[in-house]
Amino acid sequence: MAISNAEGDPATGNEGGGERKRKRRADPPVAKWRTEGEQKTYSSKLIEAIRRVRRSSAAAATDHSRSRAVRAAADRALAVAGRGRTRWSRAILSGRKLKLWVRARACRRKPLGSITAASSSHTTPKSKPPTLERKARVLGRLVPGCRKLPLLTLLEEASDYIAALEMQVRAMSAIAEILSAAGAATAEPM
Amino acid sequence: MSNRRSRVSEEEINRLVSKLQSLLPETRQRGAGRASAAKLLKETCNYIRSLNRDVDDLSDRLSAIMATMDSSSAEAEMVRSLLRS
Repeated sequence: MAISNAEGDPATGNEGGGERKRKRRADPPVAKWRTEGEQKTYSSKLIEAIRRVRRSSAAAATDHSRSRAVRAAADRALAVAGRGRTRWSRAILSGRKLKLWVRARACRRKPLGSITAASSSHTTPKSKPPTLERKARVLGRLVPGCRKLPLLTLLEEASDYIAALEMQVRAMSAIAEILSAAGAATAEPM
Repeated sequence: MSNRRSRVSEEEINRLVSKLQSLLPETRQRGAGRASAAKLLKETCNYIRSLNRDVDDLSDRLSAIMATMDSSSAEAEMVRSLLRS
């Protein structure tokens, strides 16, 4: 399963000389998710995690709960591979607690409905069409930890998340192929 | 970060759209000239959903494989697969 090697060059993140207008936390280079090295590292971490799930899963565990455990392990390994540079990866690592905390904060503030009503009479007109707002909100819910982000940041997070998910799919497919081939081989009567 | 929500103009939106278009691999391939921002957001959402579905299916598959393999051959094969690739 050859992957085109777009070696993530650390310098490609910044355009133009030594201008450091952005902080260090600039665009995380999406290309790194497509490197073979990254996928291999991820695959080995994932296999470790799967072994742990194997060992710790009780005999009574259902197919569904095991599958959920594998998914959770795969997501955690993916988030670790992100090296904490993105919101979505940090959100996964801090677990569901972050989502609940954010939701609690949102409830204490004005709910979204009243904000829209207030802003129309306020001096800040909404020049973003509502369709865009709505879709942006949907996207914000899909990417972990990105519910309340401004659109530009959300898009950056989404693109990194997508590249990471693609790598996750590639790695898990490869592992599944190898293991099921091995399983078939050992199952064959000699 | 900049808090210019009140002044998000059309140019801002166009800038974001072209940025997203360049970031998303599949939209680059399809060569969709200037897709509308809404369409692009929708495609992005659909794509993320389908990727998540794929990962869930793969998790099902991996956990099923895990269950049927006995532990020694599973561990051996996992190690071998690492060394091979």
